[in-house]
Amino acid sequence: MQYIKIPLVVAAVLILVIVFRNRQRVELRAGSRVLVLALAAIAIVSIIDPDIPQAIANLLGVTRGTDLLLYLLIVVFVLTTLGLYFRLRDTDQHLRRLVRSLAIEDAIHKDGPPRPEAGQTPGSRQT
Amino acid sequence: MESGPTRRNDDVWVIVPCYNEGPVVRGVLEKVREHFPHVVAVDDGSRDNSASEIVAAGARLVQHPVNMGAGAAYQTGIEFALRDPDAQIFVTFDADGQHRVEDVVSMVEHLRKSDVDVLIGSRFLGTVDGMSRSRRALLRAAVVFERLTTGISLTDAHQGLRVFRRSFAGVLDLKSHDMSWASEFLTRMSEHQTTYEEYPVHVLYTDYSRAKGQRSINSVNIGVDVLINKMLRGR
Repeated sequence: MQYIKIPLVVAAVLILVIVFRNRQRVELRAGSRVLVLALAAIAIVSIIDPDIPQAIANLLGVTRGTDLLLYLLIVVFVLTTLGLYFRLRDTDQHLRRLVRSLAIEDAIHKDGPPRPEAGQTPGSRQT
Repeated sequence: MESGPTRRNDDVWVIVPCYNEGPVVRGVLEKVREHFPHVVAVDDGSRDNSASEIVAAGARLVQHPVNMGAGAAYQTGIEFALRDPDAQIFVTFDADGQHRVEDVVSMVEHLRKSDVDVLIGSRFLGTVDGMSRSRRALLRAAVVFERLTTGISLTDAHQGLRVFRRSFAGVLDLKSHDMSWASEFLTRMSEHQTTYEEYPVHVLYTDYSRAKGQRSINSVNIGVDVLINKMLRGR
């Protein structure tokens, strides 16, 4: 068994657990920014001296530096997808709340409050 | 609670979400209105004549400009009804004609006499017409699933006919947009340790409701949604 499998499996499981549980935490958002900067640094280093990723790959038991980059890319892709998924969920939820409140205000504006005899005039707000 | 206007169900709001139910919604709502003066139908962005049929039936119309799903429509209806300070009892009712108004009448009467906060209709305590064997098996599986995820033990976990008090309506806050609202309802019950009972209802599976109803494969979507919602709540 290659050693690379251990960190990859651990990373995959950790991503799922940490991201699901703490998606609102500041630390996580800070972490993703640090990760982006780190990846950019790795990319620059790899371009300047391709032997460095190769050396790290050998250290981890991966044959080629490009493979190591591919694995990293997969991790980043999963993170990005999850992040977008959560963002979309929240946006959907906000949209539903917005549409709901518009729909209710609109109905009250048109036909009056749910119980007109409660002394409310059409369009007035009841809490 | 007792001093409210209980005469001819003046404190009851029946909430009916409606998505492209133009051919039947008017008849369904008119029947409901024979017993319940306050009916709100939420037109969930229908592309047919549902909205005008709702108005013709004399129900209150709340219109979603876009389709948002059954759960979202129920939540809209509940929030509309909550704006009525005298509303004490809330009913979720299907627009496709599968629920019987007689069941709602007896459920509301039962809730007034009992001290629980939620009454959940059960097809398996009552009778069902025209339900397929596979559908029945699937619903049994859903019951086990709900028991495992919410700890609430029912004979029929995905029955949409439910009657509940204002106190529960205020905390319900359905976030699921689609059919998984029925599960989220149970989750909220277990979170708030709401008292509940099941009540036998008779469900009519007509050709219309069968054609409109959800396909069984959708239960996979519902199950996964419920699990994801559970994980995310634990943040």
